[in-house]
Amino acid sequence: MNLDIDVQEKKGKNVAFVEGEVDVYTATKLKETIQPLAEGEHDLVIDLSGVDYIDSTGLGIFIGALKASEKSEGSMTLTGLNDRVRRLFEITGLHEVIDIDAAKREEA
Amino acid sequence: MQVQTHVDINSEWGIVAARQAGRKLAREIGFGSVDQARITTAISELARNIYLYANQGQIKIEEVADSGKRGMKIIASDEGPGIKDVRRVMEDGFTTSGGLGAGLPGVKRLMDEFIIDSEMDEGTIITAIKWLR
Amino acid sequence: MDDMQVSMYQLYKNMLTSYLQNKSEHALYHAQQFSKQMMEQDMSPEETVSLHLSVFQDIADELPEEVTDSFDLLLEVMIGYGLAYREHQSLRDRQQELESELNVAAQMQRTLLPDAGINLDEVDFGVVSVPAGKMSGDYYHYDLDDEGNLAIAVADVIGKGVPAAMSMSMIKYAMDTLTDKQMQPGYVLESLNRVVERNIDDDMFITMMYGVYHPKNSHFYFASAGHEPGFFYQSAGDTFTDLEGRGLVLGVSPRMTYKEYDFPLEDGDMVVFLSDGVTESRVDGEFIERDQITNMIRERLDLPAQEIVDEIYQQLEKAQEFQLRDDFTLMILRRKV
Repeated sequence: MNLDIDVQEKKGKNVAFVEGEVDVYTATKLKETIQPLAEGEHDLVIDLSGVDYIDSTGLGIFIGALKASEKSEGSMTLTGLNDRVRRLFEITGLHEVIDIDAAKREEA
Repeated sequence: MQVQTHVDINSEWGIVAARQAGRKLAREIGFGSVDQARITTAISELARNIYLYANQGQIKIEEVADSGKRGMKIIASDEGPGIKDVRRVMEDGFTTSGGLGAGLPGVKRLMDEFIIDSEMDEGTIITAIKWLR
Repeated sequence: MDDMQVSMYQLYKNMLTSYLQNKSEHALYHAQQFSKQMMEQDMSPEETVSLHLSVFQDIADELPEEVTDSFDLLLEVMIGYGLAYREHQSLRDRQQELESELNVAAQMQRTLLPDAGINLDEVDFGVVSVPAGKMSGDYYHYDLDDEGNLAIAVADVIGKGVPAAMSMSMIKYAMDTLTDKQMQPGYVLESLNRVVERNIDDDMFITMMYGVYHPKNSHFYFASAGHEPGFFYQSAGDTFTDLEGRGLVLGVSPRMTYKEYDFPLEDGDMVVFLSDGVTESRVDGEFIERDQITNMIRERLDLPAQEIVDEIYQQLEKAQEFQLRDDFTLMILRRKV
């Protein structure tokens, strides 16, 4: 299982491009990258257009990041969710508390 | 008068010199070939730890006697960073998982007595004894 | 040399002498058996090498010096193998210790789940719950109140194994404090959410589906905290629909309310609760589709609920070559005809 995360700074925002599967094996890697960004004061955008599968451990990482960003000054937004991933956020009710930008995906 | 030898460890050369001195003394005390090899391996591991983690230090070997028993004592000392969690490094599988060798649990098994004394930022002193049977 | 060493020495000497005389396979077979005995007596590889040399020196009159010296090198190498062998033994002991600790914990965990059967005139009920490892992150519950209402629930802690199991016991203890309110699904989830939110790691959460069947009006009431949708089977049209409720997973936000839904259960209608260990079963590397699960149920409509869930579990377990990736819980409540 592979997961690639590329973080770029754009107009004062941090944009993390995630590619691969977010599961119990790769969740730690994702957490190590996005948790510090979520704790920072810059707005964070996580682009998931390269992600085709997220399991429940993976979802937990986004919840941890959400809680961190609520404590800091910044915001957290998810973009580029495919249907299957979006469905997961809907079933778990997380689309009500996490800012999900439906239309656009970030330009790499 | 008891025999005592000091070897400074600051290169792989020092490790070999400590092994050599250890084997010689073990033979003189009367250890058999298996125990000679065990003592030498223990010295080797202790010396390598000094070289790898503290850069330099000292191995002292001496003959000891206690209530009729004869044996050999190894004292490995350095002024390196010290060991943060002694319990952890004494756990099997902790240092050897990367294939680094016997580790400290291995040294403990090779010898009869083993005492470790480590202070953060001060250094580490390890004392180990093998008794002649 | 002590007695044991003397006898080992003699045995080895006999063996080696016999082998050198006739080079027989029989002698080699003896040696193989002898090696087990050596390990039982804790003989290390370096001691074995040393034993071989001294026996050899005893048998052969005059060994070339190089042969004797070469054993110094072999001995040195064998010390390393000996250490690895002893470390392996100690790690194996440690593993057995952990194993038995886990067995005790798993046993304790089973006592947290209800085990009394449900025998009701109106309702046919069955549940199967199997952990992927020894301990489960799935929790299920069923309970009858004095008026004959039946509460059922399935919860799933993210992850699996011991960490999930520890959170799972929290759900059980929190449920125990709600005794007289257990018949109100929305309220139950709201209360559990408060407990979970205070006591769980930031990146953990629990999903739960909670329902109650009222035989008096034949209505089923339920609420969901972000849980994998279940199914509602309607006997009249032979149809399955998703049983899905809006509601956030437990443990994310302290003040949440959970919408309660209800519908009538007609004769032969079924409510199916499950954990994602069921829907994330992989057959031939592919996740199974939800309609594969409903088809499996439909093929078994004439069986009692318990047999339906048992058979589906067995079929999916077999299809995954008896290796569960996640804890598996499947529950069926059917209004009897």
